[in-house]
Amino acid sequence: MDTADLSIAGMGRALRDGSVTSEQLTKDALDRVAAKDAGLHAFVLVTRERALADAHRADSELGASIDRGPFHGIPYALKDIYDTGGIRTTCHSKLRIDNIPAADSVVATKLTEAGGVLLGKLATHEFALGGPSFDLPFPPARNPWNVAHVTGGSSSGSATAISARMVRMAMGSDTGGSIRGPAAWCGLAGIKPTYGRVSRRGVFPLSWTLDHCGPLSRSVEDSAITLGVLAGHDPADAASADVPVGDYVSDLNKGVSGLRIGVPRAFFAGSPVATAEVLAGIDRTADQLRAAGATVEDIALPEYALFAAAGRVIMMAEAYAIHESDMRNRLLDYGTITANRFVLGAAIMASDYINALRARRELTDAVNGALGRYDALLTASALCPAPTFEASVDALASAAPMQTIPFNVTGHPAMSVPVGLSSDGLPIGVQIVGRPFDEAMVFRVSRAVEVLSGWESVGPPM
Amino acid sequence: MPSSDELSPGELTTEFDILMRRAGITVPDERRATVLASYADLRGQIALLHNRYAHTDEPANIFRLSPREGQ
Repeated sequence: MDTADLSIAGMGRALRDGSVTSEQLTKDALDRVAAKDAGLHAFVLVTRERALADAHRADSELGASIDRGPFHGIPYALKDIYDTGGIRTTCHSKLRIDNIPAADSVVATKLTEAGGVLLGKLATHEFALGGPSFDLPFPPARNPWNVAHVTGGSSSGSATAISARMVRMAMGSDTGGSIRGPAAWCGLAGIKPTYGRVSRRGVFPLSWTLDHCGPLSRSVEDSAITLGVLAGHDPADAASADVPVGDYVSDLNKGVSGLRIGVPRAFFAGSPVATAEVLAGIDRTADQLRAAGATVEDIALPEYALFAAAGRVIMMAEAYAIHESDMRNRLLDYGTITANRFVLGAAIMASDYINALRARRELTDAVNGALGRYDALLTASALCPAPTFEASVDALASAAPMQTIPFNVTGHPAMSVPVGLSSDGLPIGVQIVGRPFDEAMVFRVSRAVEVLSGWESVGPPM
Repeated sequence: MPSSDELSPGELTTEFDILMRRAGITVPDERRATVLASYADLRGQIALLHNRYAHTDEPANIFRLSPREGQ
C-alpha cells in the first residue's frame, strides 16, 4: 500500500481494519523524509527513535482494542517553537540552539495522549518572524512546488513537509498569518482557530495577544480532525477560552446551500500587489459557492490598512517586550531579518500600542457586525503566488502580500484553502472566516470550496 | 506626532537614532538603510491609528480579576 496519500481518516480506517500498521505508516514517512528533505529543509530534527516507539505503542494499543481516537497511530511533526520535553526546541535560532525543554507544550501533550507519532521538529522563520533567512543555524525550507520559491512563513517547514508528502499534518502557529500564508503558497489547508481555542502554553510566544496555534494539512478534513484533538480549555493559559468544543467533522460535507457569505472586496480588489490570477480565483470561488446555493455578496469593512497597522504595532510592541534584553545584548546572534524587524519595537510609544488596542476593539466590532449578517466571509489569503527567495527580500511590511493579519487582530477563526494553480504552476488559495468559536462553519465552507474548486484532483507536487 | 511624510530624511534618522540610543540598541551601519526604511514604513502605519478615537473609546485589553489556577 502506498501510504503517502492516505488522509488522516483513511489512515485511521486502514489501521483499524488491519491493512496497515502505525509502524508501517511511520517507516514510510521516515523514508520519504530521508529521500526528500536534503533538498527541501523542512526538518531541523528528525526524532526517528521516538517515532518508532510511538508507533509501536500505537500498534500495541490498537491490537489490544485500546482506541485513543482518530489521531491514534498517525505520524505528525511540530514547528520548532513547540516545546517537546527532552527534545531540542530551537525556534530556528542561535539564541536557543541548545534549548531542551523539560516538558511538552500542551499541544504536544494532547497529540501524544491522542496516540500521535512524532516524526520531528520543523523549520520556522526565526522566532516565528524573521525569514526566509540564510544566516541562521538551519537553512530555510523550500517550496516543493518550485524550490526557487519561498514557502511563506513562518510555519515554513510545516508547509514544506506536508506539501512534499512527507507527513499529512504538521503544527504551525499564526501571529499574522503564519499558518494561512504557507498554506496558501504551498497548496494546503491551514486553520487559525479562534483566539483562545487551542492552548498556547509551551509554545514560544511572538506576540501574546495575536498568537494562535493550529494545524496545516493536506485537506480540510485533516485539519478538522486535528483541531478536534487540540481544542479545549487550558486554565493555565491566560487567554484560553472555556467554551465547549464542537464537532468539526459531522457537517463537513453539508454544503453551502442557504448560507450567506460576505466578500470584503475592498480588502484586496484595489491592491497593487494583487495578481489577476488571485483575484480571478476569489471571483471563481464566489461564483461556485453561489452556484452551490449560497448567497454571496460584497460587504464593507473598515479599510484593510487599519487592520494591518493595528496588527503590526501590537505584534512589534509585544515581541520587543519579549526580546528586549537580547536585542540589547545579543543583537548579532539573531538573523539579520529578525533583528531588523524586532528593533522597530523599541520605537513604538505607549500611545501607539494603546491606539492599536483601541483599533482592535473597533475592528473586532466591525467583523462581528458583518458576521451577524453572514455565516462566513470569503477573502484573499495571499495576493500573489509564492515569490522567489530573491524577490521576497526587503518587502516593506505595509505592502506585504498576505491579507491574514486582520483576523489575528480580531481573533476570528480563519482558514486558507487552495483553489487552483497560477500559470507558473504555483498554488493559489482563498481565506474563509467565521464567527468566534464557529470553526465548524469555517471547515464546512472551506470543504465546499475544496470540492467545488476541483483542488482534490490537482494533488501535491511529486 | 508629525507623520513620517512631514519629517526630512535627516529628522527621521535623528529620531530613530535617539530611540535606539534610549533602548540601548546599536544597529550595525550596514543595516541602517534597511531598518530606517522599515521605520518610515512603520511610522506611516502608526499615523493611521492617531487622532482617530474619542476619550470614550477604550482599548481592547483583557485582564483577569480572578486568581490563576494554583495561585
